[in-house]
Amino acid sequence: MDRFRMLFQHLQSSSESVMNGICLLLAAVTVKMYSSFDFNCPCLARYNALYGLGLLLTPPLALFLCGLLVNRQSVVMMEEWRRPAGHRKKDLGIIRYMCSSVLQRALAAPLVWILLALLDGKCFVCAFSNSVDPEKFLDFANMTPSQVQLFLAKVPCKEDEMVKDSPARKAVSRYLRCLSQAIGWSITLLLIVVAFLARCLRPCFDQTVFLQRRYWSNYVDLEQKLFDETCCEHARDFAHRCVLHFFSSMQSELRALGLRREPAGGIPESQEPPEPSEDLDGGSGKAHLRAISSREQVDHLLSTWYSSKPPLDLTASPRLWGPGLNHRAPVAAPGTRLCHQVDV
Amino acid sequence: MDKFRMIFQFLQSNQESFMNGICGIMALASAQMYSAFDFNCPCLPGYNMAYSMGILLTPPLVLFLLGLVMNNNISMLAEEWKRPAGRRAKDPAVLRYMFCSMAQRALIAPVVWVAVTLLDGKCFLCAFCTAVPVATLGNGSLVPGLPATELARLLARVPCPEIYDGNWLLAREVAVRYLRCISQALGWSFVLLTTLLAFVVRSVRPCFTQAAFLKSKYWSHYIDIERKLFDETCTEHAKAFAKVCIQQFFEAMNHDLELGHTHGVLATATATPTTAEAAQSPSDRTEEEKEKLRGITDQGTMNKLLTSWHECKPPLRLGQEAPLMGNGWAGSEPRPPRKEVATYFSKV
Repeated sequence: MDRFRMLFQHLQSSSESVMNGICLLLAAVTVKMYSSFDFNCPCLARYNALYGLGLLLTPPLALFLCGLLVNRQSVVMMEEWRRPAGHRKKDLGIIRYMCSSVLQRALAAPLVWILLALLDGKCFVCAFSNSVDPEKFLDFANMTPSQVQLFLAKVPCKEDEMVKDSPARKAVSRYLRCLSQAIGWSITLLLIVVAFLARCLRPCFDQTVFLQRRYWSNYVDLEQKLFDETCCEHARDFAHRCVLHFFSSMQSELRALGLRREPAGGIPESQEPPEPSEDLDGGSGKAHLRAISSREQVDHLLSTWYSSKPPLDLTASPRLWGPGLNHRAPVAAPGTRLCHQVDV
Repeated sequence: MDKFRMIFQFLQSNQESFMNGICGIMALASAQMYSAFDFNCPCLPGYNMAYSMGILLTPPLVLFLLGLVMNNNISMLAEEWKRPAGRRAKDPAVLRYMFCSMAQRALIAPVVWVAVTLLDGKCFLCAFCTAVPVATLGNGSLVPGLPATELARLLARVPCPEIYDGNWLLAREVAVRYLRCISQALGWSFVLLTTLLAFVVRSVRPCFTQAAFLKSKYWSHYIDIERKLFDETCTEHAKAFAKVCIQQFFEAMNHDLELGHTHGVLATATATPTTAEAAQSPSDRTEEEKEKLRGITDQGTMNKLLTSWHECKPPLRLGQEAPLMGNGWAGSEPRPPRKEVATYFSKV
């Protein structure tokens, strides 16, 4: 019970750590996908480059889109971007912050794929075997150009009869793999240096603005989650009352129709079953409903939430928030605070 | 009760990651099924295509239907769709939302099956081995001399290495590499296309119908909870009904025993304490049971209640005590003044 509450609070309070976890999971899935994928270079002149480059670039694109899809914050960011301003003006800095954080996390899995492909070397060898300069290798001196091209196209396929056990093939293959791994390690080094610099130098520029943006982007995320949670609570209590009302109105109908026969020594006719409102008047039931108790009111509440979010000012009187929430009795004093009841 | 509410809230508020987890598991299950399946190309000219297309398309259909069937909410959707409108109008947007969210989850496993099949390449190889361009890949000069049926028979055996006898025409490895390359290209394109579609649908939605989406989400959620609560209330009622019924039966038996003079004093002696007990216990035990009955105490009435629940659901407006007779609308009555003050409970 306590564990659930702690886990619940942890997840609620640090959506960043949840997103980091998802990002790592996606990177692990990428590694597994790459290792289980059966690379199959066609070893044909025009197809090699298409296949090699296609395999280097298409899966990263798909993984990038996947990374955006599984990240909840991308949807929150889009909603924050597209909402009408209403009572709460939009801060583009927050949206930019959220966008950059979402993009950084979504780029992890594609980069893992590209680096794996380059360090492994098969893609590069397949794509660029035809582009190698035959002058570099002495074995091609006594072949016609078309033979050379045919030979080079088959370099990625070790088992092909034309190039099997050929030292020329091994030479070209080694050369291309070496180039591929050099590029791979260079990119890795560059990325790490850029990340390091960005992280270390960031406090030198606009640290306070950064802190504010981080706070408010986290706030927007939490607010959305809490709104959904409150809607769940509300739906539950709404349903509860609806069902109880239904049962009691059945009784009234039956009474009106005179269908209730004399019970045999059981309930006396005069005893009324408890009114549903008595059940729920005390405590959490009615309070959760917050006086929103019809379809039109709920629809109106949801539309108002979307089109005109309340300002970020909890000390203001609720009356100033607009017509949508006026089904309560008027608040007595203008400076009345909303009660915050914290369950511990 | 509080514990269940906590768990319920946790799942609901964390539904995003819960559903992502379910989708991940279904994707893994589909990939595992494919790897456990033993693909067996017939290597005969007419049968290759039929077998391969069957393997490519039938399991996804089955997986999709299975995904729909295993989702608990499908019966809720069917119920909401087919119920009579009664006092509560039906909202087609809510039905659409429910169907879309179920279909999206059910589509994950078929998409994974198709993607894994194409990326593996065996299916494509089996289906299109007779369509390989022999002229460009093999000995093109020998092709005109061959009758079409002989060529088809030769090429149909490409997927089966132990019976292939056409190496003089076309090297088997060349054909296999060529077809697998095309298959993998198609597979990755399919994966890219589906992820792009999913991304567009998810990201572009907030630009348009966001308010309508919030409403549909709330009301589909509400329908689910209301159904569960109704079942819960009916169970409580049935329990109380049964208890009171049995209690009354025993009381009636005791009463009969009292009236029967055959046992005379003995019966009275033995019956009196039980009658006294029975007289005392209703005051505490059966009182609350009878409260739970909410005045519905016989089969006919209960049946009528259940029929009425299905045919004529109450309107979504609380606070009305008027009977269902007449025009059924109590909107003309003035609402009782509300005195509550809004309190916001923060559980963070």
